[in-house]
Amino acid sequence: MSRVATRDGVAFTRLFEVHAPVALGLLSRILAGSGGEAEEVLQEVFLQVWMQADRYDAGRCSPRGWILMMARSRALDRLRRRNAARRREEIVGEETGGEALPPIGTERLERRERQRQVDSALGLLSPDQRRCIELAFFEGLTHTQIAARLEAPLGTVKSRILMGMSKLRQALSA
Amino acid sequence: MDASHSTRIEELLPAYALGALDGEDLRELEEHLGAGCAECGRQLDLWNRDLETLAASVPPLAPSEMARARILRLAAGAAPASARAPRWTFFAAAALLLLGVWGAAGQLRTRGEVRRLTAERNRMARQVDALGREVNLARAEARQAAQALQILAAPSVRSVVLAGLGPTPGAAGHTYVNPQTRDALFYGFNLPRLAADKTYQLWFIAGGKPVSAGIFSVDERGTGRLRVENVVEVEDIQVWAVTVEPQGGVPQPTGEMVLKG
Repeated sequence: MSRVATRDGVAFTRLFEVHAPVALGLLSRILAGSGGEAEEVLQEVFLQVWMQADRYDAGRCSPRGWILMMARSRALDRLRRRNAARRREEIVGEETGGEALPPIGTERLERRERQRQVDSALGLLSPDQRRCIELAFFEGLTHTQIAARLEAPLGTVKSRILMGMSKLRQALSA
Repeated sequence: MDASHSTRIEELLPAYALGALDGEDLRELEEHLGAGCAECGRQLDLWNRDLETLAASVPPLAPSEMARARILRLAAGAAPASARAPRWTFFAAAALLLLGVWGAAGQLRTRGEVRRLTAERNRMARQVDALGREVNLARAEARQAAQALQILAAPSVRSVVLAGLGPTPGAAGHTYVNPQTRDALFYGFNLPRLAADKTYQLWFIAGGKPVSAGIFSVDERGTGRLRVENVVEVEDIQVWAVTVEPQGGVPQPTGEMVLKG
């Protein structure tokens, strides 16, 4: 990342090749299969990376974490705008996104391991806990919005998220 | 640790990391974090790392060639910012240099200001440069879209559906011809990528003779596009077809036909 901050095009390309597929996967998940929109946001994210690489703080998160959290934040902004627009008008469906990418080499092994770890962690959650966390993480809903969506008491939603996140932490750090 | 730190505050952190906190809980935690509680900052980083793992567990997707090209173009030709700085920055730098020699007493302070402003100037120049490339690319894409629209929106546009043949039964194609302007637009779908020494070539058959309309390649989704100008004998076109030919194309079709309609 420090090389990207010095305008190293080769380092930026490498960063893109390594992290763009996962970022696009996350964007497509949040934007629910709107491939064109996901790629637009991907461009915005990497434009931000190129412009603001000097603001990256290695002490707080990994380059992957920085990129993914930027991607999530931008995708949720887009989702909220889209949902607001949808309330006003009927929108035309868009084509689906890119094709699933088979990861390669050590990346495949790392991803499989990560997937296994997260699947295992999510498997420890109750369906209600998992649903609440997914609504918050992938749809950007708040406690109050989740309670309204699930028609559940607010206190119950708060408790499900706290317990679910705690279980997730334990499983991921095991 | 801030004096207001408590178990209750800690329990708000995972929902805050998720972005789920709202109302009074959010106000209370943000006030606490704003007071600079180091312990909460540390715990928040840990929750964010858990969420990073969750985020990275989604199946990856390959960006399209167009998106990849647009993004990597940002870094293409990246050079030291000073080499690409617009002319006004030269004058800004000259002005800053003049400031730098303005009196010995203020020299040190001014040098610091020069460095700050120079860094700011370089940062802005880089932003202008990257955005300029984005704008140029967007303009090119807008021109391409406008050309396509001109053909597709013509009242007398003729469309032909091409079906997959032989080794590519799942492939499909569409050709749109504007008889007034004699422009045509071809889209091919689900076509396999070819070896480097091969290319797809579009043909139309008019008066029993095949006429080349051009060559094209496909992206990783198997989609190809070709715009054809000055289509001859528009009224007499009987068939559109796509064949696989040697790279560069051939004057008469020699390879396997993969689309016809």
